[in-house]
Amino acid sequence: MEDDCKPLLSSEQTAESQSYGGSTDSLDVKVKRPFHVEPRNIVDHDPQERVSAEAAILNSRVHYYGRLTASSDRLLSPPNHVIPHPEEIYVYSPLGTAFKVTGSDHSSKNPSIVTIFAIWNTMMGTSILSIPWGIKQAGFTLGILILIFIGLLMLYCCYIVLKSPKAIPYVDTSHWEFPDVCRYYFGAFGQWSSLVFSMVSLIGAMVVYWVLMSNFLYNTGQFIYNYAHNVNASDSEFGTNGSERVICPYPNTGPGGNSTMASLFINSSSSGNETSDFTSFEHWWSKTNTIPLYLIVLLLPLLCFRSASFFARFTFLGTISVIYLIALVTIKSVRLGFHLEFHWFETSGFYVPEFRVCFPQLTGVLTLAFFIHNCIITLMKSNKNQENNVRDLSVAYLLVGLTYLYVGVLIFASFPSPPLFKDCIEPNFLDNYPSSDVMVFVARTFLLFQMITVYPLLGYLVRVQVMGQIFGKHYPSFFHILALNILIVGSGVLMAKFYPNIGSIIRFSGATCGLALVFVFPALVHMISLKRQGALRWPSAVFHSLLILLGLANMVAQFFT
Amino acid sequence: MSSSAMKKKVLLMGKSGSGKTSMRSIIFANYIARDTRRLGATIDVEHSHVRFLGNLVLNLWDCGGQDTFMENYFTSQRDNIFRNVEVLIYVFDVESRELEKDMHYYQSCLEAILQNSPDAKVFCLVHKMDLVQEDQRDLIFKEREEDLKRLSRPLACTCFRTSIWDETLYKAWSSIVYQLIPNVQQLETNLRNFAQIIEADEVLLFERATFLVISHYQCKEQRDAHRFEKISNIIKQFKLSCSKLAASFQSMEVRNSNFAAFIDVFTSNTYVMVIMSDPSIPSAATLINIRNARKHFEKLERVDGPKHSLHMRMR
Repeated sequence: MEDDCKPLLSSEQTAESQSYGGSTDSLDVKVKRPFHVEPRNIVDHDPQERVSAEAAILNSRVHYYGRLTASSDRLLSPPNHVIPHPEEIYVYSPLGTAFKVTGSDHSSKNPSIVTIFAIWNTMMGTSILSIPWGIKQAGFTLGILILIFIGLLMLYCCYIVLKSPKAIPYVDTSHWEFPDVCRYYFGAFGQWSSLVFSMVSLIGAMVVYWVLMSNFLYNTGQFIYNYAHNVNASDSEFGTNGSERVICPYPNTGPGGNSTMASLFINSSSSGNETSDFTSFEHWWSKTNTIPLYLIVLLLPLLCFRSASFFARFTFLGTISVIYLIALVTIKSVRLGFHLEFHWFETSGFYVPEFRVCFPQLTGVLTLAFFIHNCIITLMKSNKNQENNVRDLSVAYLLVGLTYLYVGVLIFASFPSPPLFKDCIEPNFLDNYPSSDVMVFVARTFLLFQMITVYPLLGYLVRVQVMGQIFGKHYPSFFHILALNILIVGSGVLMAKFYPNIGSIIRFSGATCGLALVFVFPALVHMISLKRQGALRWPSAVFHSLLILLGLANMVAQFFT
Repeated sequence: MSSSAMKKKVLLMGKSGSGKTSMRSIIFANYIARDTRRLGATIDVEHSHVRFLGNLVLNLWDCGGQDTFMENYFTSQRDNIFRNVEVLIYVFDVESRELEKDMHYYQSCLEAILQNSPDAKVFCLVHKMDLVQEDQRDLIFKEREEDLKRLSRPLACTCFRTSIWDETLYKAWSSIVYQLIPNVQQLETNLRNFAQIIEADEVLLFERATFLVISHYQCKEQRDAHRFEKISNIIKQFKLSCSKLAASFQSMEVRNSNFAAFIDVFTSNTYVMVIMSDPSIPSAATLINIRNARKHFEKLERVDGPKHSLHMRMR
């Protein structure tokens, strides 16, 4: 009788029984090896081995060693340098099929077209609604020129952001984002300030979302109420007559004369509640007074979810909304026709000059519209052919620019100017259509749903950054999260109540975060890295310093126009 | 005086943490319970009561603990430890930062061996070679081998480089076992004859406790170079499962339409594995052949037994 093996029959050991490579209660990945199941095809005389001999024998060893220790014991667990490269690992099913294990540290590689689409999808935000207003503020010709110019400028800045991790020598920057690059060059100051400015853009977007959601919810409710009660509200608003109605919600903001005509209609504007005969519905369903508060009930619980992966599934809604908007704009402009007159520098009646002094408002909006610099490195990492990164980025920017241009130009051009003033174009161009318009109602509903699903995602991003930096954990406690969410929601509600001008919110937050993340930091980082390589030429230094000055001017100009 | 009264030892020595316990566990299929994984040095010798190659008992010692208690115990028990040693296997951790100290302890072990068991065979294992970069392994091993051979004079030491993560551990221990078998060439000739008589594709002779391949014969080229280690691992796993039921592994037959494999007890120290690729030969025939061969090989082993103990009595 052999007594060569130590008895294994202690109760503690039988409980942790033999599983090949680890128990289910162990969360340690190292314990969960073996890494493949060898094909037990002993009948076939196929000389071609599907598995390399080294891998097969290592598998046999790992199986055996796993039996010699308790499953949570890491003594005989294979170290990383012994395991084959992820590319060489196959998983075999006993039925004979094999598939490659995608290494967990490799992001899946996408073809160029998918990357371009992902960039387009991420950049297309709600700023598309403000482009016509922005073009109006800058003047038609100047607006188009500025759009192209700012697009190219931001493309260049995005390109230097994308290049920046690769210029860092001796360090593995494969998982770095732009704040990490700033930390490398500017220390803790760089990291913190780039994070703070990134927060500005996120929180600005969340405030804009709240205002827009109130707007869309209000209009949707108004549409349903009017439809149900057969109320025809068209007479109370100042707008065009006919089947394609375009309205001017705040006619007293029209330029110059004929204010008497405008004032006749102030009293009957349905969005205010100064009229004497407003119904109780309008009292409870008010765009600025009550709806922002109703949204709290819906959205504050969603913000407190621990994980946002559920909401990430709805990103397709954003794409559908944009495509629908493009279709809507096309149809509207076909039906309304073009109303363009070119008055170059002076204001004249219904039109705006081609070149206006308040063009910085457009640059502010565009800085947020083309903003993707805080996540472009991560997005481009999954591009299959990395050498095409610059080309793909340029194509994506071109598509985004064309989309904005298309929407902006068509809405501006088709705005019926003889009865209405071009100056009436609202920062949210959907506001120029009455709540009874069916197509616009559908657009508003789409956008409402999309925003309800994106809002918690944005909140999650803010929470992860803020909580991670201050407390070190993403979810320190429910009360911390609740406090943060109340702050964010509160700012949204206050803005919706007192200053629901999304054009201003967009341009201020755009110019602020653009200052740091688009102009100053990328240019500085680029110049410093060139200097360290000894390749900084004076034209390049002058150009990049100009970039920094432009960013500063952009920001300062927002306060003065 | 019977040879079984003289239990000769196999000393497995090395610095604490050099990998001896893992090595023993892997070679002898010993379960390492978590509580025996101590953080300190071995205070007492770990007898494993393994019947290894007949009369040999495996003793595991930590050499050169930092504790003065350890050192005193070691010096006072020295003669006891180093008497009746058949084999000394000394394990060096290739990553050790205290090369001078390691060599010093190795030398003191050699002195004790020279005094107490001058006929012992000395093997040095340079272990944990997987932690060295592949292109440097040969170089580093050659350096160490030269140093060790120089230090070991007048004793002759055989050096191996090993790692539990490649085939070097199994091959090193197989070589050690091969050198410990007194009449191994004769065994191999007989094995070849046996294989040709019974028309086997391959015949392997395993050491009983460790399933290390002592000798083998194959009539044609086999494509898997690692098959010995794989068989050894599989059977050791099976033995572990058997011992959970307090049963011991005796024999196994695996058969399909293309081949038949038989694993059976052979002599008191060995197992045999016979692979037949002619499925028309019935199992019973092969088993009878193995049984008859068993008697023949037992005689071969017994021939050396008395000779061996005679040698010891004469010292």
